[in-house]
Amino acid sequence: MIEMKNIHKAFGANKVLLGVDFELKDATVHALMGENGAGKSTLMKILSGVHTYDEGQIVRGGEDVNYTNLKEAEKAGVVFIHQELNIWPELTVLENLFIGNEYTRFGLLDMRLMRRKAEEIFERLKFRINLNRRAGDCSVGQQQMIEIAKALMMDAKVLIMDEPTAALTDSEIEVLFGIIGDLRKSGVSIVYISHRMEEISEISDEITVLRDGRSVMYKETASTDYNEIVRAMVGRDLDDQFPERDHDTDEETVLAVRNLGNKSHPVMDVNFELKRGEILGFAGLMGAGRTEVMRTLFGVDKGSKEVEIGGRSVKIDRPPDAIRHGLGFITENRKSEGLILDFSLVDNMTMPSMGSFSKGGFMKRKDEYDFADLMIRRMNIKSGRKSVASELSGGNQQKVVIGKWIGSQPEILILDEPTRGIDVGAKREIYHLINELTERGMSIILISSEMPEIIGLSDRVAVMQEGRLRGILERGKINQENIMTLATGGKLDE
Amino acid sequence: MKRLLLFLSLLVFAAGCSLEPPQWAQGGGSSGDDGNVVIGLSVSTLNNPFFVTLKDGLEAAAEEKGYEVKVVDAQDDSAKQVNDIADLMQQGIDYLVVNPTDSAAISSSVESANASDIPVITLDRSVESGEVATFIASDNVAGGEMGAQFIVDELGEGAKVAELEGVPGASATRERGEGFTNVAEESLDVVTSQTANFNRSEGLNVTQNILQANPDIEAIFAHNDEMALGALESAPDDVLVVGFDGSEDAINSVENGGLDATVAQQPDLMGETAVDTVEQLQNGESVEEEIKVELMLETQE
Amino acid sequence: MNSKLSVNTMIDRFLPLVGLTLLVIVITAMNQQFLSPDNLLNLLRQVSINGLIAFGMTFVILTGGIDLSVGSILAFSSAMTALIITSGVDPMFAMLLGCLVGVLSGAVNGLLVTAGGMAPFIATLATMTIYRGATLVVTDGNPITGLGDSLMFQLFGKGYFFGIPVPAVTMAVTFVILYIILHKTVFGRETYAIGGNETAAALSGIKVNRRKIMIYALSGLMSALAGIILASRLDSAQPTAGETYELDAIAAVVLGGTSLMGGKGRIVGTLIGVLIIGVLNNGLNLIGVSSFYQQIIKGLVIVIAVLIDRKNK
Repeated sequence: MIEMKNIHKAFGANKVLLGVDFELKDATVHALMGENGAGKSTLMKILSGVHTYDEGQIVRGGEDVNYTNLKEAEKAGVVFIHQELNIWPELTVLENLFIGNEYTRFGLLDMRLMRRKAEEIFERLKFRINLNRRAGDCSVGQQQMIEIAKALMMDAKVLIMDEPTAALTDSEIEVLFGIIGDLRKSGVSIVYISHRMEEISEISDEITVLRDGRSVMYKETASTDYNEIVRAMVGRDLDDQFPERDHDTDEETVLAVRNLGNKSHPVMDVNFELKRGEILGFAGLMGAGRTEVMRTLFGVDKGSKEVEIGGRSVKIDRPPDAIRHGLGFITENRKSEGLILDFSLVDNMTMPSMGSFSKGGFMKRKDEYDFADLMIRRMNIKSGRKSVASELSGGNQQKVVIGKWIGSQPEILILDEPTRGIDVGAKREIYHLINELTERGMSIILISSEMPEIIGLSDRVAVMQEGRLRGILERGKINQENIMTLATGGKLDE
Repeated sequence: MKRLLLFLSLLVFAAGCSLEPPQWAQGGGSSGDDGNVVIGLSVSTLNNPFFVTLKDGLEAAAEEKGYEVKVVDAQDDSAKQVNDIADLMQQGIDYLVVNPTDSAAISSSVESANASDIPVITLDRSVESGEVATFIASDNVAGGEMGAQFIVDELGEGAKVAELEGVPGASATRERGEGFTNVAEESLDVVTSQTANFNRSEGLNVTQNILQANPDIEAIFAHNDEMALGALESAPDDVLVVGFDGSEDAINSVENGGLDATVAQQPDLMGETAVDTVEQLQNGESVEEEIKVELMLETQE
Repeated sequence: MNSKLSVNTMIDRFLPLVGLTLLVIVITAMNQQFLSPDNLLNLLRQVSINGLIAFGMTFVILTGGIDLSVGSILAFSSAMTALIITSGVDPMFAMLLGCLVGVLSGAVNGLLVTAGGMAPFIATLATMTIYRGATLVVTDGNPITGLGDSLMFQLFGKGYFFGIPVPAVTMAVTFVILYIILHKTVFGRETYAIGGNETAAALSGIKVNRRKIMIYALSGLMSALAGIILASRLDSAQPTAGETYELDAIAAVVLGGTSLMGGKGRIVGTLIGVLIIGVLNNGLNLIGVSSFYQQIIKGLVIVIAVLIDRKNK
């Protein structure tokens, strides 16, 4: 058992933890919850030796411990699997497993021994993978397994997982949960950080909730419920997660896409229309080709398509064409594709619309500031216009990305997983923002893997499976069963 | 109105332009009247033993006379040499001794030294414009004569000789050829003169061709060591090969019984001569426009 | 948090300037002649060549690229200018054509990097030798002399404008123009955006390839300008001119605090970096440090500067 008592931690003037208590029993799955910025990662980084605490105490098995670096913690069996996986894409699965901990014989790598050890581990995980495969070619789910295998190899007693399911398919999640169950049985304690409420109730035994650097709730999972957890996280009751949609969408078609196909990705024969002020949801399993459709539509990926905007046929070869025709694209990876992390908030926000914030090639700084200030106010971004994007929380970063596309005044906005990795409060704000945009006549395409989000927001839902659009569910037909049926290749009985 | 303004601004612009440094910034550096003689030496490169020896020779001679020497190394970059010389002049030198990287590129530096009344001595390479107190270089004509005389002494009058010439038109080619011809015309049988462009591999090829056409050649005189070393590769042992320059390779070859002789330049003597010239100028004596430094024949034995 | 951040930025920004000031103090203490007006003019003239090249290099490095071919472009465009002058064309016009040669050479670099998809290091390494070879071909390996006594051409490298050396004036004017472009225009913002996150920039509708080609062309133009100044100063075009100049330019950019990863840095920093290198070259000569030691000291200064910079981050 590990007890963290009254932990304090500050980075300069920024106080992140102000007295957190956290108790991790042996052989339990302990969910650690809280909004982004509540201090979950910092707390776990302290436990795993990345950071040291300023004040407090960590007791393990009756003894005071304080790991001052990662290696030390790993030796003591505390292993942290980060959200951003530590994979060397050019090395094989086997090489990845033993990187930094290679077995040698007479100074040479003992490949045979390593292979045997690896096979043992994957046997234990009931997971089949080709050890000679390039790790970069493995799916994110498989990479996650490699990380878990690596942790087990280090004989982990405490395993910390940060959003492990964020990029996994449902079947991979199932496998992962099976493994977590097995690990618990064999005596391993697991700290499970996640925003997904359903997962928490499914696999965790206990829950600790952090808010603003303090621990505000510690309960057995069985004795609490969704509302209590959310209340603890945000410090207040949440009224309805999703905004009321007034279903008065225009009949005017703003966008028509026909025969969209993309050879390099398994996408073909996609046809759909988008009406003014409508939210068209795109559902499907991971890898169904939803993102690829949007990338092809936006001119990021080469492919064939016929596009009509406002009734006129248009040619979109590259993103600038798309923007000129009134499209905006909020991509799923905000750090790698949406933001320039070294740029200030205002510089990020005016990026797609520099033409309208400049005159004769010269930037109009004051106009930029006015726009950024307006967006900051309207979207409740908790930072100044000059702050650097990399220092914002996930939710605020996402708001900046949305703000940047609002600035380009698109008719049609594509949002790809807009709430991934974002806390409950910020999610709700983003939902309301999306709703507000449609009220002003903007049309939205929403890709999401979170079923409640798709169902709660969309006016119609397009469902994709294996690169094809399997059907578009009209209002009234939108429910979990119908979506899953189409997403798994089934047919709806009329 | 607009046109007037344009005209006026052009006028101001033109008035501002000049090729002369401004009054307030002139003569800052040269402080020659403190009794202490300072020589500024700018060398084309110290990556070549020839110029290192030259520098050492100059420094040793200057020390004897109690002169101070400031050395800068252009690393074979003309632009750096121009900067270096400007820096030297900032340090208040009394004499500028320069071994130019390039005759044209260095002219502006010599001119600015002239403007500051600093006498300029050039070593080994001359300059295209600007006033130079004297130009010190090896006596290539005498060297050519020396080489020819060596062949006469070894093989007797009338021996059949081939001449490997340097890059056509280069001063070294002209002068060395001239000296060689001075002696050879009278006392040797010059069968052929062909260029091998101061290049070792060309020296080899040209010599092969010459020997094909004239198998009875007794001696080869090359305008530099590189060509001589090339010739050595293809010439039979009994053919006498004479080089020019006294490069390290050539001297080694001479010592090991390869080349029969090389007409060696004496860079250390060149440096010494520069210091002697400075002394003469210092004493108000006039100096020759061009000073020839003796060469030395390096032979086996 | 905000105040702490700005303190760090302040240190970041002023570190190069502090370094330069220290250097000036040390050198002046060892030889007062350093601060004489005469020598300062001399210094300004000396740094202008590297300054121009380094300004262009700053743009390239900000996009996350590098341009190793600057020295060769310098030699090539100065040789072309000289050839055109000696063929009897008006020197002003010849200088313009020389600049055009630089722009085109740079644009080829840009095309190789964008359309060709080559890594900038490799692309410009290749063109470095190609342009050098081209220079040797057009000059036959000999310096081109006899550039005549056209006043404009002479002024360009050797003249004074109200007492300030013309190359220094050229550098200053160029600096102001490039400063405005980098910090006040769409072009500048896009330069930073491409270096900061090329994918995000492309998805935001920035024409990444077109910008990159323009930036490499700009670097070529700066090298050509430097080459023409050099030709005027040396009264000749040297086929071997500009060898290893890319190193001094990159060093100046790095000394100025610009990140080789792109996206971060300032052209003011580059100006200071250029001055640091210039002061070192001039100052060490004034103090009379042997040229062999000078190279060691220059290298050490770069190492120390980058180490301090890294510590700060």
